[in-house]
Amino acid sequence: MAEEFNIDGMLDMFLFESGQLLEKLEGIILEKQDAECFDDADINEIFRIMHTIKGSSGILMYDNIMRTSHKLEDVFYYLRESQPDNVPHLELVENVLKVSDFINGEMDKIKNGGDADGDEGELIKVLDEFLNRIKGEIKDQGIRLPKENKHEEPSQFYIVPVASEGSHFYRITIHYRNDTQMSNIRAYSATYALKEVAEDLLYTPDDIISNEESSDVILAEGFHMLLQTKSLKDEVLGLIDCSEAEHIDFEEISSEEFGSGLVTMGRIESPVAIDLGEEDAGVREEKPHPVPGDYVVKTKETGKGKTLAKHQSKQQSMISVNVSKMDALMDLIGEIVIAEAVVLQNPDLNVPGLDLTNFQKASAQLAKVTTELQEVIMSMRMMPLTNTFQKMRRIVFDVSRKLGKDIELEVIGEDTEVDKNIIEHISDPLMHLVRNSVDHGIEENADDRIALGKPAKGKIILEAKNEGGKVYVSVKDDGKGLSKEKLYDKALANGLIENKSMSEFTDKEIYRFITLPGFSTKEEVTEYSGRGVGMDVVVKNIQSIGGRLDIDSEEGYGSEMTLAIPLTLAIINGIVVQVGNSSFVLETASIKEFVRIGEDSIIQEPGGEEYIVLRGECYPFIRLGQRYEFENCQTKVEDGVVVVLEHEGSQICVLIDSLMQEQEIVVKPIPSYVKKVRGISGCTQLGDGSIALILDIASLIEEEERR
Amino acid sequence: MKILLAEDDFASRKFMDKYLSQYGECDVTVDGEEAIDAFMMALEDGEPYDLICLDVMMPVLDGYQVLKAIRDIEMQKGISKEQRAGVIMTTALNDERNVKMAFELGCEAYSGKPVDLEKFDKVLQKLGLI
Repeated sequence: MAEEFNIDGMLDMFLFESGQLLEKLEGIILEKQDAECFDDADINEIFRIMHTIKGSSGILMYDNIMRTSHKLEDVFYYLRESQPDNVPHLELVENVLKVSDFINGEMDKIKNGGDADGDEGELIKVLDEFLNRIKGEIKDQGIRLPKENKHEEPSQFYIVPVASEGSHFYRITIHYRNDTQMSNIRAYSATYALKEVAEDLLYTPDDIISNEESSDVILAEGFHMLLQTKSLKDEVLGLIDCSEAEHIDFEEISSEEFGSGLVTMGRIESPVAIDLGEEDAGVREEKPHPVPGDYVVKTKETGKGKTLAKHQSKQQSMISVNVSKMDALMDLIGEIVIAEAVVLQNPDLNVPGLDLTNFQKASAQLAKVTTELQEVIMSMRMMPLTNTFQKMRRIVFDVSRKLGKDIELEVIGEDTEVDKNIIEHISDPLMHLVRNSVDHGIEENADDRIALGKPAKGKIILEAKNEGGKVYVSVKDDGKGLSKEKLYDKALANGLIENKSMSEFTDKEIYRFITLPGFSTKEEVTEYSGRGVGMDVVVKNIQSIGGRLDIDSEEGYGSEMTLAIPLTLAIINGIVVQVGNSSFVLETASIKEFVRIGEDSIIQEPGGEEYIVLRGECYPFIRLGQRYEFENCQTKVEDGVVVVLEHEGSQICVLIDSLMQEQEIVVKPIPSYVKKVRGISGCTQLGDGSIALILDIASLIEEEERR
Repeated sequence: MKILLAEDDFASRKFMDKYLSQYGECDVTVDGEEAIDAFMMALEDGEPYDLICLDVMMPVLDGYQVLKAIRDIEMQKGISKEQRAGVIMTTALNDERNVKMAFELGCEAYSGKPVDLEKFDKVLQKLGLI
């Protein structure tokens, strides 16, 4: 929204600070939702948060926010001063959340350029009633009521400027015909006409009225203007008198370009600093605090913008960057990695006897820099999962209350960092999984749980961890678990599977039925889940970012849903191998070993499947060349190389011809015009310009297991 | 009510003058120095201003300097907090630090530009000026 409305600095700060405080508030509340009561530190903290919000909303004159936060502050004032027992804790938690929702709602309105006009009356009534009960309780307990919480009206106010639409910035250059008389006067009339719509107007030459010679300059170089206005292009052009103009250059520019002024007219390169959030934050130069006298306007000439007598150093330690630009940068870096390979592995270098010592040194340096470049851009995109997990706390709280279940949520590893893109993609699927666990997972009836020897209170564990280039996010509950029989019957009844007996499926395959479209074992549809849409969407979303969903369960003791997502989408470390005339890429992380074996280690099944026995272990064996029907490939095991690949604890061996090299691989999707090939997850371009296919080990293993 | 308006930009000056005039006599100055002169003059005449609206970016002295000078003079003359002039800054400089500084210097309100007149009215009411 910030792009549509200019959010004012002071207001921005208020929204930011209050937003943070409310987030902190929700954090405390949800953490302590199941406790008996809040402890002193929490009460103090909540009191302080409400006090701060009350203060700042008072200054900005958002009266409804001020009144609700004031009421809640009052409640916590009495809790703090008198420390009564028997406070209805859950009701208090709900009330705090209501206030936090209300303020959040109002802040959203403000952010969108509206006014905080929500009616706080109802909420105040509820809080008042609650407060009175607490006061009564305090009296009943024979504790003296503390003196009233004195509310000081703020004595200073900040008037938020009227929300205005964003301005446009234009660079306009008028070229007059060579024989134009008094072009300086024409130029001046153009500036005069533009002043009507201009919020700011700069032009050069700037002495057009006082200096007649400026007309020559205008004829030679054109008359340049920078205009800040709310009007659109056509409107602006309509105002300029074009009768003597040969042509007019009109270009929309960014506010930064506008800010850098006319000095650099035309060729503007504004340096951009991106804060990386590194440890050097402490060393960063602080913008000096303003002092009176900083804003004296030097002189003011007609048509010129105000110049301050004192030079303002513009130092920014943070800028916000459009995500699409980040993505473009990411793509470019991918291209650089490819280009690097093209240069370093150029076939032209294969001249016998060529001395490449210096070239090798330089290329090592280049490789180092590109790797660092990748790391930097990755670190820019990394964000902790904290916020996403916070949302889950709220969902568990809301849904479990509505369904009348008693559930505890444990969160592990919420500071795990993941690519921002991925966070956006997993938020919804995760929400779905958590809801499912609350709704379907945990038993309706606490007695059922006790009968199974489980604690009456249900438990859901939300865990994130980083392992081997992947992020695992799991939702684990200790509820009913999945019933294989029910799943099988349901799938059969819905015609989702052919007439196969249950024993033909592995456990995992049966669990995977719930991800089929149109599947739901829940007889009743609830507000939250059970409509049978969802799990298939979850899986689709996860697959779209190259991840997968694993389901594990034990009937009666709970189930675990694990999302495995690649940490980064774009660049992997891989080993390029040769099979026949084609190249394949194997992800380095999944390679266990390379071995050379003899024909005698191979066992052939009657069905044609082959296995390798290696140090007493038996692995499925695939000849890549045969599988993809290549010509000119090694058929003898002795002459090729066998690679042992591992994925998720299962191994597989593949036969290749030879190893080429290890390098960074930029993953590109298989173009849509190529039919989907099993066992291939993507492709990449190699140094010599040829294409290598990236082997999808997971699907190879899966296929092998299915046979 | 007696009002002093210091504003160097013509368009803003005209707009504010028109708006403020409905509440009383409005004197207008175009730079910071003139504003302090006007303030002193009114004080000497025994008819001090009730409300002073200050732009920040002005020639000679900026709005913050004027605000500081006004509060210093009032303190020197022993004018109590209740009796002193209400000062409202009107500026597009709305960085939080600028606002905080102005509050510390002792202004009653700080209005971003373009001025929200509805809220401006509300502030005047809260300050007990209308």
